[in-house]
Amino acid sequence: MSRSDAGDDDGTGAGRIPQIASRLIAPFVDRSVAERLLISVAAILLSIAVGFVIVLVSGRIAECSTAAWTMPLTGIGFCYDPVEVYLVLFNGALGYPFAVGEPGLFNPDWSPFNLSFALTLSETTLLIFTGLSVAVAFRAGLFNIGTQGQLVVGGLATALTVLAAAPLLPAGPIAGVALIAVGILAGAVGGGFWGAIPGALKAYTDANEVITTIMLNFIAANVAYVLVLEVFRAEGSSVVATEYVPEYAQFLPWFFPGSSDFALVALLVGFGFIAGLYYLVEHTSFGYDLRTSGVQAAAAEYGGVNAKLTTVRAMTLSGAIGGVGGAVWVLMSEGRWMASVPSLGFDGITVSILAGNNPLGVLPAAFLFGLLKGGALEIGFRTDVPTELVGVLRGLIILFVAMPEFFRMIGRYTGLGSRGPSGPDAGGSGGAEPADDAAAVEGGETDA
Amino acid sequence: MNPAVHMDGITKRFPGVVANDDVDLAVERGSVHALLGENGAGKTTLMNVLYGLYEPTEGTVFLDGEPQSFDSPRDAIDAGVGMIHQHFMLVDPMTVWENVVLGNEPRTWGGLRVDEAAAREAVVDLSERYGFDVDPDARIEDVSVGVQQRVEILKALYRGADVLIMDEPTAVLTPQEVEDLYDVFEELTDQGKTIIFISHKLGEALSAADDITVLRDGVNVGTVASTDVTREDLAEMMVGREVLMEPATTPQEPGDKVLEVTDVHADDDRGVEAVSGISFELRAGEVFGIAGVDGNGQSQLVEAITGMREPTDGEITYLGEAMAGESRREHIDRGMAFIPEDRQERGLVMSYDLTENGILGSQHDPPFAEDGRLDWRASRDHAESVIEQYDVRPPDADAEAESLSGGNQQKFIVGREFERDPDLVVAMHPTRGVDIGSTEFLHDRLLELRAEGKAVLLVSSKLDEVQGLSDRLAVIHEGEFSGVVDPATVTEEEIGLLMAGETLADDSVEGAAVHDAGTDLGEAGDEEVDA
Repeated sequence: MSRSDAGDDDGTGAGRIPQIASRLIAPFVDRSVAERLLISVAAILLSIAVGFVIVLVSGRIAECSTAAWTMPLTGIGFCYDPVEVYLVLFNGALGYPFAVGEPGLFNPDWSPFNLSFALTLSETTLLIFTGLSVAVAFRAGLFNIGTQGQLVVGGLATALTVLAAAPLLPAGPIAGVALIAVGILAGAVGGGFWGAIPGALKAYTDANEVITTIMLNFIAANVAYVLVLEVFRAEGSSVVATEYVPEYAQFLPWFFPGSSDFALVALLVGFGFIAGLYYLVEHTSFGYDLRTSGVQAAAAEYGGVNAKLTTVRAMTLSGAIGGVGGAVWVLMSEGRWMASVPSLGFDGITVSILAGNNPLGVLPAAFLFGLLKGGALEIGFRTDVPTELVGVLRGLIILFVAMPEFFRMIGRYTGLGSRGPSGPDAGGSGGAEPADDAAAVEGGETDA
Repeated sequence: MNPAVHMDGITKRFPGVVANDDVDLAVERGSVHALLGENGAGKTTLMNVLYGLYEPTEGTVFLDGEPQSFDSPRDAIDAGVGMIHQHFMLVDPMTVWENVVLGNEPRTWGGLRVDEAAAREAVVDLSERYGFDVDPDARIEDVSVGVQQRVEILKALYRGADVLIMDEPTAVLTPQEVEDLYDVFEELTDQGKTIIFISHKLGEALSAADDITVLRDGVNVGTVASTDVTREDLAEMMVGREVLMEPATTPQEPGDKVLEVTDVHADDDRGVEAVSGISFELRAGEVFGIAGVDGNGQSQLVEAITGMREPTDGEITYLGEAMAGESRREHIDRGMAFIPEDRQERGLVMSYDLTENGILGSQHDPPFAEDGRLDWRASRDHAESVIEQYDVRPPDADAEAESLSGGNQQKFIVGREFERDPDLVVAMHPTRGVDIGSTEFLHDRLLELRAEGKAVLLVSSKLDEVQGLSDRLAVIHEGEFSGVVDPATVTEEEIGLLMAGETLADDSVEGAAVHDAGTDLGEAGDEEVDA
């Protein structure tokens, strides 16, 4: 028995060094779920604080007749009141559960089934799909920037399939359910196909998926545009869009106002995808292959994982989920495919990053961005503050979440996580060549 | 007379650990001193204190009786202490003399130009003075590892070193080069230089050093004259208990042919041919060993056999079926266990816990997976059984692989692969980094597998390991077998010659007939004692 073993056993001596080191480096190298959560929450709070200052500063630059807020003691006036901005942002996104002007007081007239909250949830639902799409690719070590294009293609496939199939069935709720199912399937196939292309290019021609997915986004958007403009454009439509799919083939809003473009059932489908994807990643052989390829490709190869096939499969799955997002966008939000597709796919990247690429984390992350979206509209209605400030807030959140990720990357590239520049406390833990007690104690002596 | 180096009561503490605890070390001028100990014993820390990399928490370093206080290696170099690291720090495309003077070049033109003639002259003088056979104009990338090591020594001497510290100097050398190094030691000490070398190999400490200091758990267990001790004494000092040094093998009639390799060629990652026509066969109940200096194609050969690399030519037949071109998955499914040389790149997923790592390779197979769904309970039971049987510490299936020490990582991999119920075990450096006690156990398990009729392909750079465990032993040199020998009768010198690419003149090189290798397998060559 070696000394290092003894150290591990009784928790004294040599075993401590790597423990300490890993505790120091862990936040940047290999964070646990709890740590990711902590960082995400901290990033949100930090961005709110910085956003506070930005609102103040921009309120100083803007011109207004009466100051919305005056700084005590100094008497300096600001056009925008940051407290009010945040109250409107979050309160408004939920449809004002708290009385306006009297923060903390519950509004007795509030019902969750209001228009503002529906907008928030609508955005949340769509971001769940695009966030999951990006997350699943990330877990396989692939950076899918192409969710946007997959959503565009999937949405178009859904719209065209449902429009083509609708006349074949008698109108009615049963046909509606069937058409929605077929539409989602068509979206998944379309998006999956569009995701499989960069997957195959990556696997068999070694083409960087970041480049190919970006390019395929352009191709998707422009080909779809021309296709709809020239072939599938609705007669008399002033915008480039397909015909509306029949009313009965769209998601019904249920309890929410009909004008809200939100359907609870679509959100439930999103929950189902979250649970399903979580199970897939954590509890199946395919998920094991996928994750292993993502964290350590050489070990995956050793473990009999077919790297090429896994790449293609992961990108196809990612694209299919993005395509389902497109289907939901068509069948829930718009009722048709139109050329002005919102940037849901790109927002999915930020959702996934905030979620730490964990399917379960996608839900709160998507909800947060849903809140910001819904709140931004309220800010536009209720205050003089430009809604772009909300965009700044969103950017700040990602900036702060991404910064530890950045440290982690730096740690990997510089080997900080594996063997430090010098000294024992950087000696071992983390990344590529970790925690050999001996290495830690002896400042990097290699074994054998 | 004062000793050349006297380290008095050195204690070095790091947060939470004492790496050196009140260590005294005295090294006489003109002697060779071995610092022996398992990994983690504090050898390198102690030498880093002497070399000025660390400041001791307590204690003083004396050179020739003068107390020293080093803030950096620069100070140590100025005081005449030079260190030669295990991994050489040479610039490959530059010549020998350029490397020697690099950083301390003689200058002309008021310091603007390197005085090349003077520099080369100085290097030539130096190497002649110490009898080094080194061509000053050769490029580093063209000379052997042994010569590169001498260039490192020249570098230290050029900077005025009187005390040379060498970290595991023989790790990368062939046995012949090791002999040459010992000659260099002698030449240097004759001229008054003092050498301290770090080692965990008992044999080389005994044959090269005048005095041996053994460290264990950061404490000086004792300093002995090499003439006064035996291997067994040293092993006991290092480990703290008695160690059985030689694996006991029994003769065994080999069974059916399991693996047949015919004229296999394979490239390395850069597309350069690394395996140039290797043929052998391996039968059930047989251990076939491959010895050789690292980097002579054994990695690529093993990868070709295990399905990690497609051979460019030749045939590999496993259990009667051609395997070339089959996927890695297919190799695993047909019962081939593989202990890879790189445990942290391939053998384990570092961020996974042991439960997850226990099914690496079996993630599609029952009992761990059914219909594509993973059974984490069965996986955990499996991991726990491996942990228990193979004494993996800490015994915690939830521990992440990266939190384990190297030796324990290795034990877990070996356990996982041995428990796969394989027909063929391909084991590459199976005990690298594993302490002596566990090495003993892993060797016993390997021989048990052999007794159960499994075929074992054993690749190791530890000569005693391949020699002691193998029924037949091939020596690989530059992608070819330079000989297949009977490990019971071959001498270490003969293996060394084969490792250097020479052929043996006499008939000790055998064709294929040494299956009935004697009971008394190999006097152990050079016991390597790893932590």
